Amino acid sequence: MVNAIKGLFISCDIPMAQFIINMNASMPQSQKFIIHILDSTHLFVQPNMAEMIRSAIAEFRDQNSYEKPA
Amino acid sequence: MDHHKSHHRGDKGRPSKKPKFSNKDDHSSKFVDDDDAYYNEDAEDDYRDGEKEERKRDFSKLELKPDHANRPLWACADGRIFLETFSPLYKQAYDFLIAIAEPVCRPESMHEYNLTPHSLYAAVSVGLETETIISVLNKLSKTKLPKEMIDFIHASTANYGKVKLVLKKNRYLVLKRLLQDDVISRARIVSENLHGSDGFTVSKAAGEIATGHDGLLNEAELAAAAEEKETHSFEIDPSQAGFIVENVKQRCLPNALNYPMLEEYDFRNDNVNPDLNMELKPHAQPRPYQEKSLSKMFGNGRARSGIIVLPCGAGKSLVGVSAACRIKKSCLCLATNAVSVDQWAFQFKLWSTIQDDQICRFTSDSKERFRGNAGVVVTTYNMVAFGGKRSEESEKIIEEIRNREWGLLLMDEVHVVPAHMFRKVISLTKSHCKLGLTATLVREDERITDLNFLIGPKLYEANWLDLVKGGFIANVQCAEVWCPMTKEFFSEYLKKENSKKKQALYVMNPNKFRACEFLIRFHEQQRGDKIIVFADNLFALTEYAMKLRKPMIYGATSHVERTKILQAFKCSRDVNTIFLSKVGDNSIDIPEANVIIQISSHAGSRRQEAQRLGRILRAKGKLEDRMAGGKEEYNAFFYSLVSTDTQEMFYSTKRQQFLIDQGYSFKVITSLPPPDSGADLSYHRLDEQLALLGKVLSAGDDAVGLEQLDEDADDIALHKARRMAGSMSAMSGAQGMVYMEYSTGQKKLGLGQKGKPKDPSKRHYLFKRRFGFIPTMDRL
Repeated sequence: MVNAIKGLFISCDIPMAQFIINMNASMPQSQKFIIHILDSTHLFVQPNMAEMIRSAIAEFRDQNSYEKPA
Repeated sequence: MDHHKSHHRGDKGRPSKKPKFSNKDDHSSKFVDDDDAYYNEDAEDDYRDGEKEERKRDFSKLELKPDHANRPLWACADGRIFLETFSPLYKQAYDFLIAIAEPVCRPESMHEYNLTPHSLYAAVSVGLETETIISVLNKLSKTKLPKEMIDFIHASTANYGKVKLVLKKNRYLVLKRLLQDDVISRARIVSENLHGSDGFTVSKAAGEIATGHDGLLNEAELAAAAEEKETHSFEIDPSQAGFIVENVKQRCLPNALNYPMLEEYDFRNDNVNPDLNMELKPHAQPRPYQEKSLSKMFGNGRARSGIIVLPCGAGKSLVGVSAACRIKKSCLCLATNAVSVDQWAFQFKLWSTIQDDQICRFTSDSKERFRGNAGVVVTTYNMVAFGGKRSEESEKIIEEIRNREWGLLLMDEVHVVPAHMFRKVISLTKSHCKLGLTATLVREDERITDLNFLIGPKLYEANWLDLVKGGFIANVQCAEVWCPMTKEFFSEYLKKENSKKKQALYVMNPNKFRACEFLIRFHEQQRGDKIIVFADNLFALTEYAMKLRKPMIYGATSHVERTKILQAFKCSRDVNTIFLSKVGDNSIDIPEANVIIQISSHAGSRRQEAQRLGRILRAKGKLEDRMAGGKEEYNAFFYSLVSTDTQEMFYSTKRQQFLIDQGYSFKVITSLPPPDSGADLSYHRLDEQLALLGKVLSAGDDAVGLEQLDEDADDIALHKARRMAGSMSAMSGAQGMVYMEYSTGQKKLGLGQKGKPKDPSKRHYLFKRRFGFIPTMDRL
């Protein structure tokens, strides 16, 4: 019996995968979005999460980059 | 946006990506403590200027001179000057610009300078006249000089030299010369008028100071002096001279009364203080830039007070010793710690003919006294400023130091000493001339401006890249090595409960360790280099050094052990790498080293980065190899290891700014160690990595934090979320465009630097004052 789940396939580097996993872990049970951790660089998540993940990563990266005050 | 701009003059309408920080800024500028009132005035000036900014941006009306291609400068109405370094006139233009303007940023082809009241004050103080400044500037400029700039130069230089501070028979006198000779000859009546109004100014100044400090100035004496026609003078209450002198000087600076004080010492005609018989030895040949800096100081046969900025390794001590040899009077030399006291004493003996019994060191360990009536005393800032109880012996020596009229007060590393320490030292000692030496006139707090009135204007600042080209300092390849976090370490790094261990986690990142190990091996084996590894984080320092079996030095290492390790590093062929905590940042002289690997650092401190680079700047090898086109393109290497995707990236970029402004560029290396290095290097296997991770996680929060030395007072500002606009302007950063401080993220990102028991920022302020600057190696 085949079970098909619609989802989003994410391919990223190791640290970012950890970032998403950590993000998922900090969510309440009802909002967890990772369906499967495929390996250390590939994840399968709920299809509607793309924007949320993207913006969280963007914010995280912003915090870690210094911009010279012009 | 407007408000934002008011704080960052340089932020010309460029969309700010960090609006959240400017909010914090608003709060911080409401913090008003002692000196801030003074800075806020600056901020308001900036605000007004901010509105004009848009207009100044439009250069289309500037008129190009027909032969503009031959001229090297672009002068803008807002005081900024751009210099083309490829111009045949570069050298002359550079010498001139460095005298009248602040360098902002000096990359290879185009330099940016800024005219400020302080820089012009420095210019006239080295003997340039207003008209000369304007005419030379006009000659070099591609366009007609903007009227604003001419007016600005006039306004900033008009009053210079009218007020003079003189130390006579151990008493400070303020002289005010009202009339230049030509004025007198021109019109007697006008001069009477001038006299009147100026006389009013001075008594107002005195009045202000007096009310501020409960009649510290002797009004009667002032009135008596005012009777004289040509010179007004008043004496400063000797009992509190030090502090008052400082206030008087501050009031006279361009942003207050605009009567910058002239502080010159006519040492040749000083018959009161005994001469000290010392000459430079014949083998001491000052280099061209050292000569130049000295000529700024001794321009008209007298000695001017001020600051000379030379990169580390460029021979600051020879400049200091030369200055002392010219003045030939008693000299008090202040260093930051006992080790550099020894080094200074050594330098004096090396370069000059001074007799052994004329030079003495005064530290907690050696309390020597010189014989005869003149000599050189080398001591630390702490020893002089120390407020607690001293031994009887020290008390006697300090009393001698206080009572003597010093010909020269030589101050090393002026950028590290907290302002209050300076105040104390300067108020305790009486000197005719003060010379400050430093490599990096940049601080993470706002105190750079204070140096202007505490010591004097900046007399000379060398261009790093020119010294590199001349082969005077090493040509350093700077590299930032990106080390990806391992999966397990990054996973822990992200967890909220580990917020205090973030630093330890990114420093102990196994990929970073492997990169470090690889670099050490490469440089030791392939090139035979001498390597210093810097780690601020004590936990990491110990782990790295133990694992790699290398000697290390940190705050608690005894003086004896230190000397032993350094000696081995210098002489032994088996000891090629040492690990240093931040005790090695300043003044530990390690001329042999030519590679630095930085594995952890003090947040975003630009000064630390520059100081560390300075450890390897001393030129090595043959001169012809070092010159452009020689055998070796680079002969020194500076690696900064950074764990990617962590806060370290933020700090790393920030730290590099000062060096980038000096024209250095950082190369990013992403593939270290090479993928095939495998089990050659440590922590190859996952179980080893996990064991390391376990160690980091089980260590106490205190153990994994930063080493906290007492001498960090300067960096305290890093822990506070505050910044001021325009404050660094005067000396270091041309209106704060470059050196604007952002203590961003500290709070927001939860740095894991808080809560250490010895954090000096948490001390009661009374204790902070006393202990603010006591290097651990200098036990009193």
